[in-house]
Amino acid sequence: MIAQKFEYTAPKSLDEALHLLASGAKPLAGGMSLIPMMKLRLAAPEHLVDLRTIKDLNYIREAGGQLHIGATASHYEIESSALLRQKCPLLTETAAAIGDVQVRNMGTIGGSVAHADPAADYPAALQALEAKFVLNGAKSERTVSAADFFVDAFTTTLEPGEILREVIVPIDDARTGTSYQKMVQPASGFAIVGVAVRVRQNARKVSFARIGVTGLSNHAYRATAAEKALEGKTPSANDIQNAAALVAQGVDANSDLHASADYRKHLAAVHAARAIKSAISRIT
Amino acid sequence: MATTTTKTETFVGKRIRRREDPRLITGTATYVEDIQMPGMHYAVILRSPHAAARIRSIDTKKAVSAPGVVCVFTGKDTKGVGAVPCGVAMPDLRVPQHTILATERVYFVGHPVAVVVARDRYLARDAADLIEVDYEVLPAVADPEKALAKGAPAVHPQWPDNVAFTYHQDGGNIDKAFAEADVVVKQRIVSQRLVPMAMETRGVVAEWRGADRQLNLYTSTQIPHLVRTIVAAMLGLEENRMRVIAPEVGGGFGSKLNVYAEEALMGYVSMKIQKPVKWIESRRENFTCTIHGRGHVDYYEVAAKRDGTILGIKLKLIQDVGAYHQLLTPLIPQLSVLMMPGLYNTQNIRGDIIGVFTNCVPTDAYRGAGRPEATHGIERMVDILAAELKMDPAEIRLKNFVTKDKFPYPTATGLMYDSGDYATPLKKALDLVGYVKLRQEQADLRKQGKYMGIGISTYGEICAIGPSPATPAGGWESATVKIEPSGKVTILTGACPHGQGEETTFAQIAADELGVGLDDILVIRGDTAVVQYGIGTFGSRATAVGGTALYYALQDLKAKIKKFGEMLLESDDVSLMIGQVIDNKSGKAKTFQEIAGAAYRALKLPPNTEPGLLATRFWEPPNFTFPFGAHIVVTDIDDETGQIKIRRYVAVDDCGNILNPLIVDGQVHGGVAQGLGQALWEQAVYDDNGQLVTGELTDYAVPRAQMMPWIESHHTCTPSPINPLGVKGVGEAGTIGCSPAVVNSVVDALSPLGVRHLDMPLTPEKIWKVVAKKN
Amino acid sequence: MKISGSYNLPVAPERAYQILQDPAILAQAMPGCESLEQIGPDEYRMKMKVLLAALSGQFEGKVRIADQAPPTSFRLIVEGSGRIGFLKGDGLLKLSPPDAGAAGLTVVSYEGDAQVGGTMAAVGQRLIDGTAKMMIRKFFDKLASLAG
Repeated sequence: MIAQKFEYTAPKSLDEALHLLASGAKPLAGGMSLIPMMKLRLAAPEHLVDLRTIKDLNYIREAGGQLHIGATASHYEIESSALLRQKCPLLTETAAAIGDVQVRNMGTIGGSVAHADPAADYPAALQALEAKFVLNGAKSERTVSAADFFVDAFTTTLEPGEILREVIVPIDDARTGTSYQKMVQPASGFAIVGVAVRVRQNARKVSFARIGVTGLSNHAYRATAAEKALEGKTPSANDIQNAAALVAQGVDANSDLHASADYRKHLAAVHAARAIKSAISRIT
Repeated sequence: MATTTTKTETFVGKRIRRREDPRLITGTATYVEDIQMPGMHYAVILRSPHAAARIRSIDTKKAVSAPGVVCVFTGKDTKGVGAVPCGVAMPDLRVPQHTILATERVYFVGHPVAVVVARDRYLARDAADLIEVDYEVLPAVADPEKALAKGAPAVHPQWPDNVAFTYHQDGGNIDKAFAEADVVVKQRIVSQRLVPMAMETRGVVAEWRGADRQLNLYTSTQIPHLVRTIVAAMLGLEENRMRVIAPEVGGGFGSKLNVYAEEALMGYVSMKIQKPVKWIESRRENFTCTIHGRGHVDYYEVAAKRDGTILGIKLKLIQDVGAYHQLLTPLIPQLSVLMMPGLYNTQNIRGDIIGVFTNCVPTDAYRGAGRPEATHGIERMVDILAAELKMDPAEIRLKNFVTKDKFPYPTATGLMYDSGDYATPLKKALDLVGYVKLRQEQADLRKQGKYMGIGISTYGEICAIGPSPATPAGGWESATVKIEPSGKVTILTGACPHGQGEETTFAQIAADELGVGLDDILVIRGDTAVVQYGIGTFGSRATAVGGTALYYALQDLKAKIKKFGEMLLESDDVSLMIGQVIDNKSGKAKTFQEIAGAAYRALKLPPNTEPGLLATRFWEPPNFTFPFGAHIVVTDIDDETGQIKIRRYVAVDDCGNILNPLIVDGQVHGGVAQGLGQALWEQAVYDDNGQLVTGELTDYAVPRAQMMPWIESHHTCTPSPINPLGVKGVGEAGTIGCSPAVVNSVVDALSPLGVRHLDMPLTPEKIWKVVAKKN
Repeated sequence: MKISGSYNLPVAPERAYQILQDPAILAQAMPGCESLEQIGPDEYRMKMKVLLAALSGQFEGKVRIADQAPPTSFRLIVEGSGRIGFLKGDGLLKLSPPDAGAAGLTVVSYEGDAQVGGTMAAVGQRLIDGTAKMMIRKFFDKLASLAG
């Protein structure tokens, strides 16, 4: 459990960090995935740049009718944010479901999203929220939607030298209800599957539905067929069941020691139905 | 407990907080890793990534010349060191030569191949990557049943059938019992391999003092004295030239009831480099190189009459040995056979064990060691029999229990159960859980298509291990108690508690006997240079055997104190109370301090009495003790996901007299946690090539606090007649009682689907598959 | 671990068979392949760098092709090892025109066994299946782009 020798820099500013990253260093945020890999020598970066020491990367604030979350906001900070609880409860609920207390204290939203673990919790919620990610390089800044960001297992549209600086999520009105339902893998705390649902009702009809799914396949995705099946309906229990059954349709499901592909698909449907029901019940 | 003193405050039987906890909770205890020495070097061990391979060559050149590296040793260098011993003697036991570093072949993933010694641990670890080992990979076998099949790869080429040993035990007339049976039920039951997972991994600091010809070995162990005897012999060192110290030990659960290659290896290294050397096991090494527990495939047959009377039990037990025998490996399944009858009155048994070599890390004692497997087996079989006969599982147990008038009760396996009253804890548990009402609720829920289960386990165990003839290295325990010249009391125990709380319970015993306060007493253990020889802590023995040795030493000491008191008070009628000796006639008193002063100053001595106030006892128990109890688990099954929710966990344990209810509760809670771990989450999974695929905490699910149900812990009390304290032992009870109660509960819940048995761990997917089949 | 799947290549089976055994093309298509050099008939030495999320590792090994039955099937045996562990794969690749019989298309189906050992095997259970799938997907994607 001893990592290979590496250099460590704690930059004071984002510019300094980006400059170092441009020359091949690797960013370190909460270290919840990277450090264990380094201790096992499965990863051996030569130079780590610690983003947590950059003060202006850690914030949760409202601006321009949206919520802006800095990359190094910890899961605990998100879970316990009064602002988010009021204006984006899906994110606080999801953060509270991550790993364990220690992981939530150390882990960051930027690190988790950029790592793109196929079983991470945030990506489901961020897909359902149609979040936007602000990506910065030494000489660039661009904004990418969650839908475009996750490419494959551990693979995103981040270019070498680029970091995820900010997560932007919308503020929903009171007619919107959300829910994150997860089956936990008891050893790792990761999701075997996790389903995030965001629905809006107009005169009891679902006017809008967004469903994000994690853990099931190579990356978190939006279950658009299920969304469409809900929209325009005043969903009966049967409608919910039918829509939920669509979340895993056509998906090449992951299979491992902890859950077979068939079981994962089944769980996705079960948790989708639960999340839809729970989200609708939360509409005030 | 018998006591001759009277005093204002007593301690035995009270919920006294553990005296050892403050240093543990505040992180100020000293574990092996905390030991620092001038000139200390660090060792990193290179281990085999293959389960079976021939070593063609090992090239250490690059590693030797790496920065900070002092030396690299391989199996060629350590050939002179004795083999890691198996402490068990059996007629047809096959014992492969277990060298401390691999020589020609490696036999399991994690097998030590070379050791790098460097100035610091980082450089040592870096250099380990520079060793080039050329392996010729060979076919491996990781499953004991596959290893027994014809044509399986031979783990050790000299024994192509992979049989490590066999053992047979017959009691009564098993063939007659089966011939007369109305019904015979059969079941294959797996008790999966588990990783003991002490919070503190193993670690060794070896310090060779050449000028003194003295080797000091600090090691995280449950058995420091046995480690000294064995490692000294392995190193060819005189035993009295070696001192073994077990500093704070952060859990063992049996995994540190062993002698490991690394203990001798570090001794060897320190003697070679003439410097202290430290090795700390990584969690990864702990998974692959420290012994595993369980690893049974059991084939049970139970014969019974139609009224539920059990006539006989047959067991064919396949024990996954792993690649080698560790200290007690072949003994563990024998404990399962001994406990085969459980609490039931049947005199006909047949047990057959086949120990099987596999390309895996060896199995050995893990909390319960053979008894959880046996209890799981018999308690599952009784439920299966009840289902077959459409009897209530509580009723069939009450029908078959050894009744309380039959003690001491000789079992068909040759044991003598010391005392028992098996119906009382079961009835108490049934009352506490509201059994009758629950069964009604269950019937209602079933009508609604819901799955709720009630699982009963009535367990017995062998504790206070044990009489010397039944153990490989002596089954007694020792204690010294002394009153220092200042009047303070020091206890030296040969037991080696590592979480069991004897620093508190032993102080309670001594405080009550001597009439002093707990703060006047210090309990010392775990240092072979300070403590007289002892056996150690395992098998729920420390209090029942070590505590009894202490009790008798205290009686000797009290007699001596009285003699000095009589002399000083010039009286022949004195009593010992509240830390002083009182003349019953005059009421005059001498404090322990005054008496100790006189005893050590020795200006005048009582007749036939030596100076000093010290007594030592080695106590040999005449028998084991046999605690028992009943656990009832109520579960609700989520039929959509297969998840199991434990609604109630009621434990009624009878461990004889209770010295400290707080500590007993803690032992039950911890034991149940590990039982639930086996029942629901944990399994060491090797793939077909012998790779441990649940080799990190991301894949091996150890129970965490938030996964635990509320445990309702209750007791009945049937004192043991074996020792004057009347205690039986409770360290393993929770683990032993737990797993069958959980599985019985889930099987009961799913019985409307025709489910008769499920193997552990009861993962949600396993349950879902059963439920989905119905839908 | 069992691995199986299928992939469509936009070329006829004869051409697909050819490129699947062309070291120059394979070297380009295999994710992380740094070199592929022939050391015997149907046997190659390979150097590979696996980069996946935080994980990175160098592997050296051999690729062997056997049981050739052009243009319908062959066996591919891959062995590699590095500091972080070792991997072995043995699979049968079957090439056939699609059921609909469209010209210029080949369905490559594969079925085999993969073994992973060493540190990788112990920590990556949750990831190995997904990673293997991703690497195979990348391989065929690249192959398809090179096939034309």
